[in-house]
Amino acid sequence: MTIRADAPRIEDRIRLEPDGRVTVFSGKVEFGQGIRTAFAKVVAAELGIPIDRVTIVLGDTAQVPFDMGTFGSRSIAQDGEILRRAASAAKPLIAAGRPLEGPIPDDAPVSATPLAAEPRRVEARDIVTGAARFVADVRIDGMLRGAIARPPVRGARPATVDDRAAREMPGVVMVVRDGDLVGVVAERQAQAVAAAQALEIDWTAPAPSADDTISLPINEDAGVEAALAVSATRVAADYAMPYISNAPIGPSAAVADVRGDGATIYAGTQRPFGLRDEVAAATSLPVPSVRVIPLMPSGTYGRNSLGDCAIEAARLSKACGRPVLLQWSREEEFAHGPARPACALDIEAGTDANGLFTAWRYDEHTNAHGYGGSLDKARAPFTSGRNAVPPYLVPHLAVTLHIEPSPLRTASFRSLAAAENVFAIESLVDEIAFARGEDPLDLRLRNTNDPRLRAVLEAVAERSGWRGRTGSDGRGLGLACTLYAHGTYIAQVAEVFAAPNGRVRLGRFWCAIDPGRVIDANGIRNQCEGAIVQSASWTLLEELKQRGGRVASTGWDTYPIATFRDAPTEIDVHILSAAGEPPTGVGEPPGVPVAAAIANAVFAACGARVRELPITADRVRAARR
Amino acid sequence: MKYRLDINGVVRDVDVPRGTTLLEALRDDLGLVAARYGCGRGQCGACFVLADGRAVASCLIGVEQAAVYRIVTVEGLAEAGGDAVQRAFVEEDAMQCGYCTSGMLISATALLQRQAAPTADEIREALASNLCRCGVQLRAVRAVQRAAEERA
Repeated sequence: MTIRADAPRIEDRIRLEPDGRVTVFSGKVEFGQGIRTAFAKVVAAELGIPIDRVTIVLGDTAQVPFDMGTFGSRSIAQDGEILRRAASAAKPLIAAGRPLEGPIPDDAPVSATPLAAEPRRVEARDIVTGAARFVADVRIDGMLRGAIARPPVRGARPATVDDRAAREMPGVVMVVRDGDLVGVVAERQAQAVAAAQALEIDWTAPAPSADDTISLPINEDAGVEAALAVSATRVAADYAMPYISNAPIGPSAAVADVRGDGATIYAGTQRPFGLRDEVAAATSLPVPSVRVIPLMPSGTYGRNSLGDCAIEAARLSKACGRPVLLQWSREEEFAHGPARPACALDIEAGTDANGLFTAWRYDEHTNAHGYGGSLDKARAPFTSGRNAVPPYLVPHLAVTLHIEPSPLRTASFRSLAAAENVFAIESLVDEIAFARGEDPLDLRLRNTNDPRLRAVLEAVAERSGWRGRTGSDGRGLGLACTLYAHGTYIAQVAEVFAAPNGRVRLGRFWCAIDPGRVIDANGIRNQCEGAIVQSASWTLLEELKQRGGRVASTGWDTYPIATFRDAPTEIDVHILSAAGEPPTGVGEPPGVPVAAAIANAVFAACGARVRELPITADRVRAARR
Repeated sequence: MKYRLDINGVVRDVDVPRGTTLLEALRDDLGLVAARYGCGRGQCGACFVLADGRAVASCLIGVEQAAVYRIVTVEGLAEAGGDAVQRAFVEEDAMQCGYCTSGMLISATALLQRQAAPTADEIREALASNLCRCGVQLRAVRAVQRAAEERA
């Protein structure tokens, strides 16, 4: 399919079927965030037809127009708008019986047709009846199972491989060596895994990393130090977050069917076109002969920006000449899947006697965020430096991003660096308010003139009873907010209970969000609730333990995440829709202020200022005054 | 080795290597893929099935051991009394990616069959073995409450 990014056309996006149904094409992919439903609602509303007359095709590289990938919470803002305008242009053509062809107009009025309230999710019925097909559910005639021999540590390479025992094991079809990849294909899953474990491999020690720290100024101001020096209130603090795992419930899986003249790949990828190119390179096939068909993986929160599992499956399939399903084990996913970067955040700010910010200096030390942990300097401020600039009026602002080498593979995790930056920024604001002896809500309101940020702050304060709060008996409320990268406004209040032994339990949680025009209110609520539970999990529980790149957390017993017992008791999501503003996005933003809201609530509950995540009972006890 | 299983009310014969787990037999020999691999250690709940009405991890049970139970998977849940739970999960939209949903439906069905009107805390306890990374726990609790009301 031709790239027509600059001139999108109706025929690339909407097709009228002989039975009157409508098929819609998008390069975005669904992994549980609900865009298939949202797209169907947008198109159905514009065309004025029932939602069950609309079929959405997502990400199949043989059918959809080119797309960079599904990340950054951009699906609704970008493709949702293109599809809406395409449907708007298609409607009179359908009515006139004319072919659906022509340019998609740059602008189109929003249809007055109400968006369908039901179904809540178009895939729901299939999921609850077992009819849904995830990547690991694909079954093809002649398909084998793969397993990969993993090095003990990143970067180690196989020096010698003794496969005599493995080759004789039941069901084994082939031991595959392809460069540094050593794997097994077998008739059954358990056979492939057992044979891979029976390989005797001497691994070389990895070469020491040649990477240096890269420092990139995001905002420079030579006057910061002088302004800080004369500030009436000045607070400096260091915050830190550990490596965490994406920790999908289903480990990575892919099915590859590589033939002499082309390949078909079923994968849970966020970048179907990028993966197509990578598979073509890995199998020496021409790019147009490779078709990537995205299917639902388990939930993916950035991890599937990497095509690692699918590329391995393709190499195994090419070697044995048969389709191969490769599903990583739980241990592989923890030890060899990409981690969210660790960070050390050195931040300092001052106010004048009236509580107006005078100066702000921030040095963010982290590893490479973004797909593949790639170090693209031009994009770094939007990935590894996302939301490093505070959403407040600051006359003197210096922000520097330091990207350090990592012993682990790193990649995007929902919101990239925004989560770490907003943890530091919003914790510091709370510390400054305490130092000044004032309400942290007032400090925030005084230092912004953005009406939409003020609106979410005031809304969350009202719904949570912030003004009338009383702290006692280990109960506390904490406030945090952000203007997420692309324009979604969020403010949140967490309620926590801190026990005498330091253990923190979540109570209620309030979230006010302004994502512009609302497409799917239930979808927004579900994303907010999920992001809050997930972020509370890494705030309170998660740390991927490793030493020199050797990961020690390889199961749910050594890497606990929030369960039904740990979730907040209630989550109140209040949606503010700014009139006339285009839709932004909600997949990533609602998780961003959570850590600071909880940390600030812990401080309110028991006086413990915990600056390093996760907020464990030990850290709370140590920090309690 | 040949084994005879009682799956979703139907007798099914499988011929699999000794030591094959029920999960692998369901997914690879019987075409029933709703029970899903998550950890292989019984720690996540994605592979839960009903064994004589109790929620069990099919990744930990061998096929030989499974032969003594009446097994129900999500594919057969509606006929086994789980239809109200399935409807309630749809109506509450208690899912995102859906990978863990099968296991939650199994745990919820088992709970409601032993306790018709559980409290929210009892539901949280009963589903605590079902990990969900997308974070639909509060919706799932509401769904189980809705199913309990519908069944009452």
